[in-house]
Amino acid sequence: MEQTIRSSTLSDPVGRPVESSPVEIEYSPAGVKRNGANGWSLMVKEIADNRRLIWLLIRRDISVRYRQSILGYVWAVLPPLLTVATFAFLNASRVIPIGNTRIPYVAFALWGLSVWQLFAGCLSACTASLVASGALVTKVNFPRETLVIAALGQPVFDFCVRLLPVIAVFVWYGVMPHWGVVFVPLLLLIVTLLALGFGFVLSIANLVFRDTSNALGMALTVGMFLTPVLYPAPVRWPFFLVNVLNPLSPFVTATQDLIAIGYISRPEMLVAACLFSFALAFGGWHAFHVTIPRVAGYA
Amino acid sequence: MSNDPIISVQGVSKRFCRSLKRTMLYGVTDVARDLCGVSQQWIGLRPDEFWALDDVSFDVQRGECLGLIGPNGAGKSTLLKLLNGITLPDRGMIKISGRVGALLELGAGLHPLLSGRENIRINGVLRGLSETEIDARYDKIIEFADLGDFIDGPVKHYSSGMYVRLGFAIAVHINPDIFLVDEALAVGDALFQARCFAKLRELKANGTTIIFVTHSLDLVSAHCSRALLLDKAKVVTQGASKDVVDHFNCLLRMKGAPPTLGKPAGFEASADSNQPHQTAWARLFRTNPGAHRYGSRRSEIIETGIFSTGGLAVQVLERNAEYLIRVKIRHNENMPSAIVSFVIKDPQGTVLCGTNTLFQNASMGHKRAGDVDVVTFRQRIRLNPGEYLLSVGSQELAPDGYVVHDLQMDQLAFQVVGQELRHGIFDPEATVTWEVLC
Repeated sequence: MEQTIRSSTLSDPVGRPVESSPVEIEYSPAGVKRNGANGWSLMVKEIADNRRLIWLLIRRDISVRYRQSILGYVWAVLPPLLTVATFAFLNASRVIPIGNTRIPYVAFALWGLSVWQLFAGCLSACTASLVASGALVTKVNFPRETLVIAALGQPVFDFCVRLLPVIAVFVWYGVMPHWGVVFVPLLLLIVTLLALGFGFVLSIANLVFRDTSNALGMALTVGMFLTPVLYPAPVRWPFFLVNVLNPLSPFVTATQDLIAIGYISRPEMLVAACLFSFALAFGGWHAFHVTIPRVAGYA
Repeated sequence: MSNDPIISVQGVSKRFCRSLKRTMLYGVTDVARDLCGVSQQWIGLRPDEFWALDDVSFDVQRGECLGLIGPNGAGKSTLLKLLNGITLPDRGMIKISGRVGALLELGAGLHPLLSGRENIRINGVLRGLSETEIDARYDKIIEFADLGDFIDGPVKHYSSGMYVRLGFAIAVHINPDIFLVDEALAVGDALFQARCFAKLRELKANGTTIIFVTHSLDLVSAHCSRALLLDKAKVVTQGASKDVVDHFNCLLRMKGAPPTLGKPAGFEASADSNQPHQTAWARLFRTNPGAHRYGSRRSEIIETGIFSTGGLAVQVLERNAEYLIRVKIRHNENMPSAIVSFVIKDPQGTVLCGTNTLFQNASMGHKRAGDVDVVTFRQRIRLNPGEYLLSVGSQELAPDGYVVHDLQMDQLAFQVVGQELRHGIFDPEATVTWEVLC
C-alpha cells in the first residue's frame, strides 16, 4: 500500500523520520502483511503514519459541513435547544412530570442532551463514514480506519459549539458547577471511544447491510429516552435497568454528578462502563482491520 | 534483490457473487470466519458465485510496462484491485516490493464541495504523500491539470473533463514505484491524452513499473514491452506484447464459436458448409440484431460473413491482407439479372467504399426460384485501423427499373488492426523516393 511508505529521503513537517527501507507487501486470503508486520503492530503503525491524514479529513469535514448553508452552525445548536424547551414545557405543565433535579431542569436537560448528542453524533457519523466515502473506499487504497476515526471530528466540534448555549444557560440560572467538572472532559473522551468502538463494528455492518443505518436511526431515537438525559437516573425497579444495561448511562450520570455534587455516586458502574468502552474500542478496531479488505468492495 | 520480480502473483483466485442478497449472506459468513481466524482457502464456489479470477500467476520485473488485455468481464479490473490491495485474493498470494500508486477511477476521492487546490492536498495525503512532498509537487500538479481559474472553484462545478484532468494530475505525480492504470485514459480531450501518455513514458523512463488495462490494442503494442491476456478469469497467454495482441485478435475471431482455441478446422468446414440453407455462419460473427432491413424479399440474403483466404471466419482484420466478403443468397422467384452488393461505412455512417456484382461485370446469370448462391468478393483491406460496418444488399436491374429485394444495413461490425501509422481512413499506399538536389 502506498500511504505508509516514504521511499524518498524527505521528512514530514512533524520531523518524523521517514521510512526508507524497501517496501514488501503480501496479500493473501489470510490478510495483509507489510514489511513483515501484521496484526496489532501493523494496525498501530498505520494509524501513527496516517495521523496527518486523519487531521486533514477532520478539517475537511468541518470546513465543508456548512459551506452551502446560510445559518451554518446555528443548525448545531438549534435542535437541542428546541428539544429542551419542549421538555421544560411538558415538565412545567405537568404533562410529563420529571421530578426534582439537583440543578434547574433546563440546565440539567441541556447538559444531558449535549452528552447524548456527542455520543449519538459520533456513532452515526462513524457508521456512515465508509458508505459515505463510496468511491474512495472501493478505488483508493489507504487505511480505512482513518475514515472512521476522522468521522469523530465533526460531532466533537459540534459538541464544542453546543457548549456555548450550555454555558449561557448555566450563567442564566446562576448554576456554579462543582470543581469536579474538570474530570468531565476525560469522561467525554471515553464516551467518544465507546462510540468509536460501536462505530468500527457498525460501519462494517453498514457496508454489508444498508439496513444498519436505518436501524441505528431508530435505536438512537429510542436510546435517547432510555438514557437518563432528560430525567434523573431512576432508582426503582424496573426502570433502574436503564442505568445498568445502557453503557452510556454511567457516563451521563457521572458527568451530572461531577457538575452538581463533585463526586461520582456509583463509581463501580462507571468503572465497568469504562472497561467495556476500552474493550469495545480495541476489539472493534481489530475486527475492523481484519474484515475491511473482505468487505471493501461492498461500499 | 533487484533480480526479484517487483510483483509476484501466484495462483491467485477471486470469487464474485451475482446475487446481491446472497452477497450479503456470504459477506456475513466470510466476516465471521475472518473473525474466528478460520482459513477460507478451501472454500469452493457457493450458489450464484463464479470465479472472477481463476488461478492467475505471473511476475512483473522492475521497470516493465505490462499491458493487461482481454474481453469485457475477463477479470482485468479485479486483478488491478487485488494488486492495489483493495480486496484480498480468495486463494493464492500476491507479493509486491514497492510503493503502489493506482488510478482505478479518475477523480476517485475528490470531494465535490472542496476547491481544486484543497482537493490536491487531501487527495495527495490519501494516496500516501507527506505534506512536504505535496508542497514540492503542488505547482507541477496544477500546471499539469491546466484548469485555469477553476482550480480555486469547487470541484462540483467542474466539467467531467476537468475532473479527469485533476484526478490524473494528482495520481501521476505521486511518483510511485508501481503505477496501476485502469482504462482511465480513454477520457479527456486528445491533447490531454497525449500529455498523459508523454507523462507515462517519462515515468517509464524513470524506472516506474506500469500495469495498464486497456481495450486499445494499439496502445499495448505502442507502450508495453509485455502483455498478459485474460479471458474468462484465466490467463490465456503472456509474453511479448505483439504476440499477445496477435493471440487476442485470434481470440476475438473465435468469439461466439465453440470455446476451444486453436481448432480453426471446424470453422473452415462451416464456412463452406454443404447445407447452405442452415444459418451456419451466424454464430461465428458479431452481427447487428437491430439491423435495418428492407426490400421485396423476392430474393433474400440469408447470411453474411467475412473470411480469411484460408476460410476462417474473422472479425478482426489485418490491414493490407486479403479477405473474402461472402453473401449467401436465396432466390424466391426466377431472377434473370440478380445483383449482390456490399458497402462499408464508418460508425458515424459515412460510406467509405462499396461495389456490386454489376459494377464488377460479374453476371450471376439467370437464377431460378429456390436457387441458393454464395457470392464472394475477394478484397484487399486498405482501411486504416478502426471499427467499421458492413452493409449488404440484393437488387435486380429489371426492365422497369432498379428493384431492391433485400438490403441489410450495418449488418456486421468488424475491426481493422495494423501496426504502421497513417492518417485518415485509407492507406494512401505511397511510394516515397528521395532525390538529393544539392
